[in-house]
Amino acid sequence: MVGGGMAGAIAALAAREAGASVLLARRGPGGTALSGGAVGVAPDAGAPSTVPFALRLRPMEAARRLAALRPAHPYAIAGVGRLAEALDFAARALPGLLAPFEDRSRFLVTAGGGVAECGLCQRSQVAGDLALARGLVAAVGFRGHLGFDARPWAAAVAGMAAAGAPPSAWAEAELFGGPEEGTLAPHELARALERPGAAEAAGAAVRAVLPAGAAVALLPPVLGLDPAVRVLERLAAAAGVPVAETLADVPSVPGLRLQAALEARLAAAGVELVSGKVELGGWPRRPLLVAGQEREARAVVLASGRFVGGGLVRHGELREALLGLPVEATVGGESGTRLAGRPAPSLTRPERRAPQPLLAAGLRVDAAMRPLGESGQPAHPRLFAAGAVIGGYENAADGTGLGAAILTGYLAGKAAAG
Amino acid sequence: MERFDVIVVGGGVNGTGTARDCAMRGLSVLLLEKQDLGCGASGGSSGMIHGGVRYMLSDRKVTELACRDSGYIQRIVPHLLFRIPFLVPFASKGERARLEERAEWYAFEVYFGAYDQYQPLKRSKPSVRLGAEELYRVEPGLRPGLHGAIAFDEWGIDANRLCLGNALSAETHGARIRTWTEAREVLRRDGRVTGVRWRDALTGEVGEAEAPVVFNASGAWSPAFGRRAGARVPMRPGKGVHLTLDRRWSDYGVLCTAVDGRQMFLMPHENESIVGTTDDDFYGDPDDIEATHDEVQYLLEGAASMVPGVARSRITRAWWGVRTTLHAYGPNEDALSRDHRLLEHAADGAAGLLSIVGGKLASYRAQAEDATDLILSLLGRAPAACHTHEEPLPGGEAPVDVAALASRHGVAEPVAGRIAYRHGARAEEVLRLCDEDPRLRLVLCKGEGILAAEVVHCLRHERVRRLQDLRRRCKLSVGSCGGLDCARPAAQLAARELSWSPEQARAELADLLEAGWRERRAVLDGHQLVQEELLRGVFGGGA
Repeated sequence: MVGGGMAGAIAALAAREAGASVLLARRGPGGTALSGGAVGVAPDAGAPSTVPFALRLRPMEAARRLAALRPAHPYAIAGVGRLAEALDFAARALPGLLAPFEDRSRFLVTAGGGVAECGLCQRSQVAGDLALARGLVAAVGFRGHLGFDARPWAAAVAGMAAAGAPPSAWAEAELFGGPEEGTLAPHELARALERPGAAEAAGAAVRAVLPAGAAVALLPPVLGLDPAVRVLERLAAAAGVPVAETLADVPSVPGLRLQAALEARLAAAGVELVSGKVELGGWPRRPLLVAGQEREARAVVLASGRFVGGGLVRHGELREALLGLPVEATVGGESGTRLAGRPAPSLTRPERRAPQPLLAAGLRVDAAMRPLGESGQPAHPRLFAAGAVIGGYENAADGTGLGAAILTGYLAGKAAAG
Repeated sequence: MERFDVIVVGGGVNGTGTARDCAMRGLSVLLLEKQDLGCGASGGSSGMIHGGVRYMLSDRKVTELACRDSGYIQRIVPHLLFRIPFLVPFASKGERARLEERAEWYAFEVYFGAYDQYQPLKRSKPSVRLGAEELYRVEPGLRPGLHGAIAFDEWGIDANRLCLGNALSAETHGARIRTWTEAREVLRRDGRVTGVRWRDALTGEVGEAEAPVVFNASGAWSPAFGRRAGARVPMRPGKGVHLTLDRRWSDYGVLCTAVDGRQMFLMPHENESIVGTTDDDFYGDPDDIEATHDEVQYLLEGAASMVPGVARSRITRAWWGVRTTLHAYGPNEDALSRDHRLLEHAADGAAGLLSIVGGKLASYRAQAEDATDLILSLLGRAPAACHTHEEPLPGGEAPVDVAALASRHGVAEPVAGRIAYRHGARAEEVLRLCDEDPRLRLVLCKGEGILAAEVVHCLRHERVRRLQDLRRRCKLSVGSCGGLDCARPAAQLAARELSWSPEQARAELADLLEAGWRERRAVLDGHQLVQEELLRGVFGGGA
């Protein structure tokens, strides 16, 4: 496995489950560690915010629709038949971190005051699911820190009232450690909350400002990096109400937590983890080079990510970083590898919010997750791809990024072990 | 109906400079800017306060005036200026320089020697002839094979803050400044303009203002504004594109030759490098303009021909402005005069309407002085002395001791330095906010040294009406990260200070990000593309 984010980790665990011995090499944490911490699977994109939660498409149905509408999306290529199985596999792989998979969307407030529709979420986010929350949701920021404004969160909840979201209010709690913590970054605050007594102090501060009738407190996504310290549980006990985190932007504490949980699970599952560069040039005729060491592998899964992960690079034109596999882009209904050589303005649209072909470029794969070479045939029968290195979707922005990573990782891992 | 002596249309350096001069000479002034201060050619310029060495052959008076005025600008706004020594490298076609080439370099040396007599006017050092060895010692990144260079001294400035400073100063002298307010119609009676009808783009409020003189300083938009009064404003609009590179690639400005033989430059500017500029006739809509792929490649190739490392550099944005050069039929774009002209439109049946065409950032103060002299005479007022070269702009009152400032307020010295650069003597006022509210010590941008306190100061005191105005006040969200760290907290601070609803704050945030996207679209490559993916992950594509 090349790449240690969600796709590579799920591929490794799936292959391991199928009985393969697995080595996973990664250069460093990639896009998964930078994610908001929950798993977007298939948002019911067409639904206005007024459609009741109960009438929204469930993730599996939404994924089927999406696959029908977007033929280049990995859901269309891989088929969504095993999506539920893959998501369930991922949730069961990280039982301490993720809530169990149910075919039901979670509606979670984002750091910036939006609402994201997710198919899997962390346990720390469950109580903030607007489709399930009952009673007053109290968005609580830290009075001493300008990085977390609770007002937009409360407004985001209010904006979903017609869909059935509960009422909301906002408040500001005293910062647990005094004013010097007002300049800390999220991960530093998370570490500060892990100090003995800090979670309890924060919980008491939350309790002191909770509006009457608050049924759940929605807090900044900084509730500890290490789930074993149980910051969330200790804070909730002191606050006297269930507590949830919002989704995060970067640096993302829930994203770092997700990455750490994946790595712990890989180690526990007996996957050999190596940090360093992988050179695939001569494979399979020659062994591959992992951090300078020669290693034999019967199959390789490229789970090297998009641009953040480093799986794809663009220096004048797009290419896949390890093997130089052809990269495909889709512009205006036309797809092809030659499009990947076009100038950036030809691969982007003037409106930022529009889907951007350049950011959706990637490898083209067959239904068995094998990347295609120039000829349109698999580049190699035992070479597979998973996650954001595969194109056809905007992994960072279209709400299906980690869902597609889990599905393609699961399929590629099984296929590689087969 | 409000009455003024003069209505200034346009919030660039000509508009704000003239509004200031008029207000200082006792006129009542209304300035209308349909977007934000500096949004057009002023903010989109290379930010040079140069002495016009190019004009020395055609008109020595222009050079002398430009140098003198550059000196004045340094006097009134010293904190915003920084020295940029320039190199004119000597390149030969063959390995050995031919006699003609040597003669040409000698001529250069003599030419810059003549320029030296004006340099003291702007506190610049005299030019120096460098041998090849010295040249590579001071600028090792230059391509091999050069024979030496002339080094001469020029000055750079933050042009956006120059516009702001003029506007703030105009206000303290009684002018009324309205940004995001468009002069939509020109009111006329009996062959004279009598005022304008305006509309506030943010509130939808409309109103009329009367004045016997309307000064059209709307740059690329001035022909369209003139037409509303039936007046013709001839000009040769020229699109100029610049690239920003993520770091300082050279210590000196380096003159380069583009593929078509045009002169262009790579220069350090504050924390970055700028490559400029293209110069092409532009007949399009100045509201709908972007840098193109070929413009980016043209600039990059030209800069890399002299500093090869630049070919690998990270371009963080490509930005543009439309020059309003004087109309002439025939010459190539960059051979057009950079002189300015004031056009009276009485013959068009619009007496009282005055337009400015052409001119340079470096001479804005003199241009404003000319315009104000003419406005006074159109109003039938007695001539009054101009003092814009004596009275400092806001922040220019006293020099700042950065180390003392930093320790007084407990902030890191580099941060204090950046804030002192932008705010001059008012940096004290900015950092005092941190003492009152320690939360405002939060660093929103490590690259630019933007504290939450600075954003709050700008929101309170610097005519910020939209979040994107902060791009021009303190460089919020224009750096290589595209606003990853700063955009959301700044939107939240703005929502608190300006009483925006959460929906409005989200809309403003989207607009801020859109402005950055338009400047990066043509340069998404290498690490900048990686950054864009991260930015979209945080701020969403559709969400």
